[in-house]
Amino acid sequence: MTGGEGRVVVTGIGAITPVGAGRETVWRRLLDGTCGTGPVQSFDTSGYNVHQGGEVHGFRPEEHVATLDPARLPRASQLAVAAARMALTDAGLETVSSPPERCGVAMGTTSGEPREVEVLDDDLVAERLDEAGAGFIARYPCHVIAGNVAAELGFAGVNAMIPTACAAGNYAIAYALDALRSGRAELMLAGGADCFSRITYTGFARLGAISPDVCRPFDRNRKGMIPGEGAAVLVLEPLERALGRGATVYAEVAGYGLTCDAHHMTAADPEGAGGARAMEKALAESGLRPEEVSYISAHGTGTPTNDRQETIAMKRVFGEAARRVPISSVKSMLGHTMGAASAIEAAVCALAIHTGRIPPTIHLEEPDPECDLDYVPGESRELPVEVAMNNAYAFGGNNASVIFRRLRDGKSAP
Amino acid sequence: MNASEVAVKVKEIINNVTSIPVDEIGDTTSLRDDLDLDSLSLMEIGVDIDYAFQLGLPDEALQKIGTVQDAVNLVLEHRERRSA
Amino acid sequence: MSAPTRPVVVTGVGLVSALGDSAPELWQALAAGRSGISEITAFDTAGLSCRRGGSIDGFDPRETLGQANFRPLDRTGRLATVAAARALDDSGHGGADRGDRTDHAGEAEIGLVLGTMFGSVHTISEFDRRALVAGPQYAKPLDFANSVINAAAGQAAIWHHLTGVNGTISGGTTAGVQAIAYGADLVAGGRVDAVLAGGAEELCFESFLGFDRGGLTAGADDEPAAAVPFHARRRGFLPAEGAALLMLESEAAARSRGARVLAQVRGHATAFDPSRGRDPERAAATVERVARWALDSAGVAAEDVALLSASASGSPSGDRSEARGVASALCGRARELPVTAVKALLGEALGASGAFQTVAALGSLARGTAPGISGLDATDEGFPLPLAGPDERPVDPAGVALVVAVGLDGNVSALVISGGEDLGSGSP
Repeated sequence: MTGGEGRVVVTGIGAITPVGAGRETVWRRLLDGTCGTGPVQSFDTSGYNVHQGGEVHGFRPEEHVATLDPARLPRASQLAVAAARMALTDAGLETVSSPPERCGVAMGTTSGEPREVEVLDDDLVAERLDEAGAGFIARYPCHVIAGNVAAELGFAGVNAMIPTACAAGNYAIAYALDALRSGRAELMLAGGADCFSRITYTGFARLGAISPDVCRPFDRNRKGMIPGEGAAVLVLEPLERALGRGATVYAEVAGYGLTCDAHHMTAADPEGAGGARAMEKALAESGLRPEEVSYISAHGTGTPTNDRQETIAMKRVFGEAARRVPISSVKSMLGHTMGAASAIEAAVCALAIHTGRIPPTIHLEEPDPECDLDYVPGESRELPVEVAMNNAYAFGGNNASVIFRRLRDGKSAP
Repeated sequence: MNASEVAVKVKEIINNVTSIPVDEIGDTTSLRDDLDLDSLSLMEIGVDIDYAFQLGLPDEALQKIGTVQDAVNLVLEHRERRSA
Repeated sequence: MSAPTRPVVVTGVGLVSALGDSAPELWQALAAGRSGISEITAFDTAGLSCRRGGSIDGFDPRETLGQANFRPLDRTGRLATVAAARALDDSGHGGADRGDRTDHAGEAEIGLVLGTMFGSVHTISEFDRRALVAGPQYAKPLDFANSVINAAAGQAAIWHHLTGVNGTISGGTTAGVQAIAYGADLVAGGRVDAVLAGGAEELCFESFLGFDRGGLTAGADDEPAAAVPFHARRRGFLPAEGAALLMLESEAAARSRGARVLAQVRGHATAFDPSRGRDPERAAATVERVARWALDSAGVAAEDVALLSASASGSPSGDRSEARGVASALCGRARELPVTAVKALLGEALGASGAFQTVAALGSLARGTAPGISGLDATDEGFPLPLAGPDERPVDPAGVALVVAVGLDGNVSALVISGGEDLGSGSP
């Protein structure tokens, strides 16, 4: 059932989030339970009845972007390129020795570069037709994100943009895993990026999905998600190559599962069947039983429906073991960073394995009786993490689960 | 606009969102149960009704629209309040 | 480069195009040199330098999908859903009530991978403009649901109960080829029983304006040659719309259910030119590399290539990179290589193009001839593909077709396909 026999590991992590940037800073702040959401600053929300967002503050793209002109990159691309540079540095690959055509990029996103269509719309609404559309094709289509990362780094190998919304990071990691296993690449950057935008904010506000205060996954009084922005990129390479160059291995990518609810565009199947199948496929490919999972990074958006349905899906797969596995949602701290979310959460899984600590679900004060599993409320925890599962669910009913495991030794698994 | 004109306008909005012919939408037809509309379509109907009549109502009030008659009542109530 | 681990075959095709509603119809139109390009009437092109394109006027999803509520689907969603319906039927997985049935026990789990450039920029733009003009409380929820780029794939999945892997690949004109490659790998790796793979793109004012402002299109006042693939006086492409999906399955699964085997996906490759076309040498070298890798992954040699189904669209730089790169990859074979370029008649349908090119390649293999490239009566000096021209050419049905997609954004992708034993035996 697997796509190949090669083992693939995570050797570098770059992240830019509402709680800070860089692997060490982000991980420390997540373990500390830092809340990165607050009043929206990038545009005026007085016309809305909600005002909270998870924005990235103090990001200076010129500190990271070297080849391309950072000022001319659209925002999600700035975040993606910066995260990619950070990931390579983290992996000890400031200089990449692999031939450029063997190095590839797979990125996910929800909205791509929505600010570019906002610029177009401002012109169209103001009837500035002569100015409208200049630069649109070079800046708006979302595959510019993967292209900008590759152009910045000179990567001439596979290049994929997978806009599967809030599950996109996991899809990108899955694509990269297959590219490496099949030998189409020997180094892959995989991740996701999304920027804060009035379009995205308006959409979720219009759906009534945004929380008026904070994101409280699995809490009885949860009232919704909080739109956020960010980027995360993981460096993935074959195990032999990583060991050969003495790289730090955070975790191994063990397997994945992708399914579709085929039920509703913006709401998950209430029976959680599609989400459950994605978990089961990931476990099957990884050769693992549910009881072997040490930690689950939940999708946990904080909406009444997601958290309830996700709990149902986890119980379907894990049965009684669902009560013993710790589960947390970093969206409680970051908000929902859209296409970056499952990439950031993949980094969380890899770091949980590497450090033996798991981040909390903050703002979880009064558990919902329907969400009666261990969601690690309030405080991070120390425990050995052998296997971490990363779950993500998206508009369009796209379900994606990716499993990471600790590298026990350099030899083949038993 | 009198009540029956409001009803026709509301039915046109429902038709726009659902393609269901206006004459198949009764005043007391349940949008949720009889017309089998999902949550997004129901929300869209609420938004379009509010927009058409400039009601400025919160979502909770629009969510209470279960039938064409409910919408008509809301519109008339709103008009009375405005002219009061 | 390793070949796919189990043979992947094409068991059906579904499409919506300006030149027909099925593969045989499209093949016939291409062979007859019929053009799908016309004056754009769907939106106002006043003030734009390009006013023509490949629009599918009178497209009505009810003709295929029956009387139903299509408001929740935008145009891209409707194109994809209709193409999916046709591909499901053509491959024997369909049935009029497939999406309505509540019991799907025993059915193959079918996935969908859709290539697209925009999803629908029209939808996201309308959503935003309504909010700007009327206030955010009046933004339309159904439009927001369709503003995500994977919306069309999600809508088609809901409509047809496609619960397998659901993916969207975003790209320019390479997206459809990348999607077919991705789908083939999913089948080869056992991750789906069957998958619909291809692309969908709509024609809309917003993207049309963008292409025009970017200087990428052939102008309304230009001579016809301005939009002819490979033409010496080419100036740019003509935007088009459509959708095409191929049903991909493992050969074993297809045979066990007695399905028609129309083609086999023998191999594929994709890569990126970091200069994004600004360095012509690098651009051509990327095409060469991708063509070689695709042939290697298929385990075939240049001599086995019976046909190039070209990406050429009238783009000055893209068409040149493609010709030089393919010629370099195929060496001597290039001088005898028949070439078909569907965009001469279909226009540039972006996310759907790669799938249309693939379907056209199958048509040439089925018929044993490649249609000429309409209007190609002069090429660049030193143009390295001498058989590319307005005349029909014989094609060896036993050979493989090389489908190449060259984006203006740096992406280059290629597929290698061969005809199956049921190709050309007509659709059911």
